[in-house]
Amino acid sequence: MKNKLFLVILSIVVFFAKNSFALIEVDITRGNLNPLPIAVSSLYVESKTSEALEETDLGAEISKVVETNLLRSGLFNPLAKDSFVQKPDIAHLKPRFEDWKLIKAQALVTGKINIANDKLRVEFRLWDVLAAKEMMALAFTTVPTNWRRIAHIITDKIYKRLTGEEGYFDTRIIYVSEEGPKNQRIKKLAIMDQDGANTKYLTLGNELVLTPRFNPTNQMVTYMSFFRNLPRVYLLDIETGVQEVVGDFPGMTFAPRFSPDGKKIIMSFAKDGNSDIFTMNLETKEVERITEHPAIDTSPSYSPDGKYISFNSDRSGLQQIYVMRSDGSDVKRITFGKGIYGTPVWSPRGDLIAFTKMYKSNFYIGVMRTDGSGERLLTENYYQEAPSWSPNGRVLIFYRETKSGSQGEGFSATLWSIDLTGYNERLIETRTDASDPSWSSLLTK
Amino acid sequence: MTKSIFLSFFFHILLIVLTAISLPHMLRKPIDLPPVISVELIQISDITNIPYAPKAKKILEKIKKEKERIVSEQAPPKAVKKEKPEAIPLPDDVKKQKKIKTKKQNPKKIDTEIKQASEFEKKELFDPNQIAALIDKSKIKQAETIRKDNKITQSQDKNFTTSSLTLSEEDALKAQIFGCWSIPLGLPYNEDLLVKIKLKLKQDGTVIKSEILDHVRMNTPGQAFYKVLAESALRAVRLCQPLRVPTTGYERWKDLQLNFDANEMLKG
Amino acid sequence: MFMGNSIRSILLVIMAAIILSACATKTTKKPGDYEISKISGDTYTGEETVKYLATGVPDRVFFATNKSILTTKARDTLRKQAAWLRKNKNINITVEGHCDERGTREYNLALGERRANVARDYLMTYGISGNRISTISYGKERPVNPGSSPLAWSQNRRSVTIKAN
Repeated sequence: MKNKLFLVILSIVVFFAKNSFALIEVDITRGNLNPLPIAVSSLYVESKTSEALEETDLGAEISKVVETNLLRSGLFNPLAKDSFVQKPDIAHLKPRFEDWKLIKAQALVTGKINIANDKLRVEFRLWDVLAAKEMMALAFTTVPTNWRRIAHIITDKIYKRLTGEEGYFDTRIIYVSEEGPKNQRIKKLAIMDQDGANTKYLTLGNELVLTPRFNPTNQMVTYMSFFRNLPRVYLLDIETGVQEVVGDFPGMTFAPRFSPDGKKIIMSFAKDGNSDIFTMNLETKEVERITEHPAIDTSPSYSPDGKYISFNSDRSGLQQIYVMRSDGSDVKRITFGKGIYGTPVWSPRGDLIAFTKMYKSNFYIGVMRTDGSGERLLTENYYQEAPSWSPNGRVLIFYRETKSGSQGEGFSATLWSIDLTGYNERLIETRTDASDPSWSSLLTK
Repeated sequence: MTKSIFLSFFFHILLIVLTAISLPHMLRKPIDLPPVISVELIQISDITNIPYAPKAKKILEKIKKEKERIVSEQAPPKAVKKEKPEAIPLPDDVKKQKKIKTKKQNPKKIDTEIKQASEFEKKELFDPNQIAALIDKSKIKQAETIRKDNKITQSQDKNFTTSSLTLSEEDALKAQIFGCWSIPLGLPYNEDLLVKIKLKLKQDGTVIKSEILDHVRMNTPGQAFYKVLAESALRAVRLCQPLRVPTTGYERWKDLQLNFDANEMLKG
Repeated sequence: MFMGNSIRSILLVIMAAIILSACATKTTKKPGDYEISKISGDTYTGEETVKYLATGVPDRVFFATNKSILTTKARDTLRKQAAWLRKNKNINITVEGHCDERGTREYNLALGERRANVARDYLMTYGISGNRISTISYGKERPVNPGSSPLAWSQNRRSVTIKAN
């Protein structure tokens, strides 16, 4: 009793003693996941030579591409330009941060472009509106026709500076363009910028083409084609358009991918009805068998360090996902949940494997850790499959098909993307129906 | 032909058996509905603000009456209108707090179960999470008090007043900053996502000076995310000015340290 | 009160028994149930999509979901094909393997290949030389029925024999 009183009196004394307070610590463990409000000002066009008349809007065009990129990432909220007070030229020199704070911007992007001697020079600045200081200033030079890539590179820089994550905007997507009636589809290989621009067709549509994938330098594509009614894996040079069959296999080869060093193609080879996984060295043409099992082994995908391969096998009865060493040893099953699993794809970050899951007549796109734990389903649909990772391992692109009527009417195939967190599910617009998308790595390293 | 007869016979027998089993149940009186349990939401700070021993309380009240108290406009809507005297946790009460903490652990378990559900249940997730946030907050408060109790022995200061914010005051400030802090979603999952910001404040809650503790880490290679995290924390502080500070006792909170921890939100 | 309750329950039982007895299996075909009766254990048993290599020789066999096992009817069909091939020694064939759309594309290519080969192997056990039979898998790329119903899917899970020359 006496002790207590003593304590109390002591604490009262202490209460009045100045500067005897320990530093109060408050733990902030929650925040919001709101997209960051960012103002992307039009780029100010510094010089306008007479030939560059068409480029007068280039400043606005570049900023629009940056804005759309940031918006589609789901992490930014680009503010409406009509609320901007400062003009692009002044804003780039010295922004009046109060004006920008007024419209609730937390970050500001300004810039200027300069066209001279057939060269386009773009300079941009990223400002922290609240701290009232410049965060980043960079300049790029290229030919004027390449202005879109500059916009994507600028977005990557801004994205990285503000989120800490590598960007994925200066990339391309290769996919299969589909047209025609459902039971007689015309399929062509198509390539486009990740925002849907610059679509180009790489094949004519005379034969079925499926599952195209980029090589690590984004100059070659491997895919499967039914050319001359012989289903085989092919190699296509994007620049020259030259196609060549991979290897000399006496049977169907399919589901091809490149190894992380680009030297080999890994694929399935079907002999007498059984599909196993093989690799072929593109230089030495040496073929190596990786799996040997009477079950179907397909959809192989290397880990980014090249040491492991994840693949799809029905050796336990139904489709499941397995991981093995790249020499085929140490095969381990990693999926044990309800349903069947397919299309495993290893994340470029090495930490996750994305997959398709089928359960109770629904299709799911999900991710799991490389040992099979932590399974998270990101989206559910009547039919969707074949996820592919963005180069920063944050976004997945996949395709969906709709239910069709008894005559095949109402059928469509579309590309979709979703963030790793399960948010920001987005339709990716393509000129035609599309399937089998695959993401390139960053075009600039 | 025989197959259908057999099946029909089998199903009829099955039906008879089923009704024979369930008939006694049907004949019983209907079950009374359990009484509706009303849930009462109470101010947590009423309970968790540990009271003094009666004598000490009287002494403190006397002292407090001598000072004039104005109810500030800054008072947060959720908080109790009266400002409680500081809580000096007496040794006896430490055990009591611990008991309350363990009880609140249970809601957390339900929280993780919801999270593991698949995407098509995500829409429902938003609502349970709001409730979970409330539950979590009280859990955090309990955790706060306990942590602060520990500081009594570890702290470099000789006094007992380590946490000088009442739980409602802390609540208010936290709620404010929670709303201002846009957590960069690109932070790596498997790193330590804690940044400590030391602030010097004016009486009205505006920031005079801010300092990132462990500044060196900002430029360490491979820790680029730390810079992004720290910048987001600073933005939150700037955005939230003037901070929701208590109306009195400027001396105790004029130096404030905010520990921004993104682990819970990102790793969930 | 007690009596009233028990009478009610007994009446319910009688009602249920009457309703149940009404569910006899249909012996006559009606337009509505055409679809259901053509699938037995998930394998298509109908004639709708079947073409003929020669009189009495159906050109295709059907499979259950995710399976490549030959049903009794399938084996019967293949035996007829084998007999026809023995009679027409100069005809070579290609067996196409197909899948329904309810699976992943790459796995379906492999499954189609398995289905084609299962038919080929069976034909070979009936004396047809492997040199006369080539196989190709189309996975889910060439459905015969473009619909999205269990009937359409069951019609698409097939191995089709085509004359190669």
